[in-house]
Amino acid sequence: MIQDYSLGLLVAFAAMGVAFFAMMRETDGLHRLLLTDLIEVVSLAFIALIGTDLAEALILPGLVVGTSELIALSEIYRIKEGYTRPPDAGLQIEVMESAPGILAALLVVYGIVLSGFSGGVVAGLGVLFYFLCRGHNERFELIETASGYSWALWIIAFFIFMILPQYWFFAVMLSGSAILVKVMAKMSLIGTMRGGPNA
Amino acid sequence: MNTAFILGFVILALGVLSVAFVRPKTYVARLINLEIPAWGLLLIMLAYDEALALMTFVAVTAISTFVIVRLMEWRDASC
Repeated sequence: MIQDYSLGLLVAFAAMGVAFFAMMRETDGLHRLLLTDLIEVVSLAFIALIGTDLAEALILPGLVVGTSELIALSEIYRIKEGYTRPPDAGLQIEVMESAPGILAALLVVYGIVLSGFSGGVVAGLGVLFYFLCRGHNERFELIETASGYSWALWIIAFFIFMILPQYWFFAVMLSGSAILVKVMAKMSLIGTMRGGPNA
Repeated sequence: MNTAFILGFVILALGVLSVAFVRPKTYVARLINLEIPAWGLLLIMLAYDEALALMTFVAVTAISTFVIVRLMEWRDASC
């Protein structure tokens, strides 16, 4: 096992060197953004090499932070370069008119059945897909409010676990449904990135 | 040392080379080549049974591809 680890580490270090070398020689902003993505992949390979639950615990927040960093950097780059004219309406394909409703409904129902964090991700993907294909004119303060209240419910469920452990089943249900709504609300916001009246 | 582990690192190394020295040097070519090292990383995660990290990585890759494609759309509209 130790030999695996050192061999993998060697390859990952070499890959990291190549990636940083390319980053050093690059001058174009968007190319550098793409290379940042490459460096993220290679550095995740370092963490994956640990190969225990610790690796998973480290990879998950790393991915989330990486995504938000990429979104923020892309916005900064867009403003800096002065790309202010919104793109034309995207692909006009028949599938994008009819499929989203059915697919989103299936994903949301399956997500609610799963509940919890993974359920929130599945349902959120459904909502994201719907917003992406159909456009949106919802009031996002409402979604944000629901997300905030569900986060508070999640915390309350943890207090029930600690103070009134005999009601553990109620707390499990509460935290499961609250984190479902929370993750779904956050993920659905990504679907609005194409721009729109309230985004 | 199992097959997924070896294959994962070979694909990761090849993928990094293909992204770093991409030809032709366009944004789309580099974005498509980015999938190769991602594949290698997925195989490494598979070798260590990191299922949750693997699935999250798949979802996050889809989102980051979307973000970059959107940036390219804005660029095309403004230039």
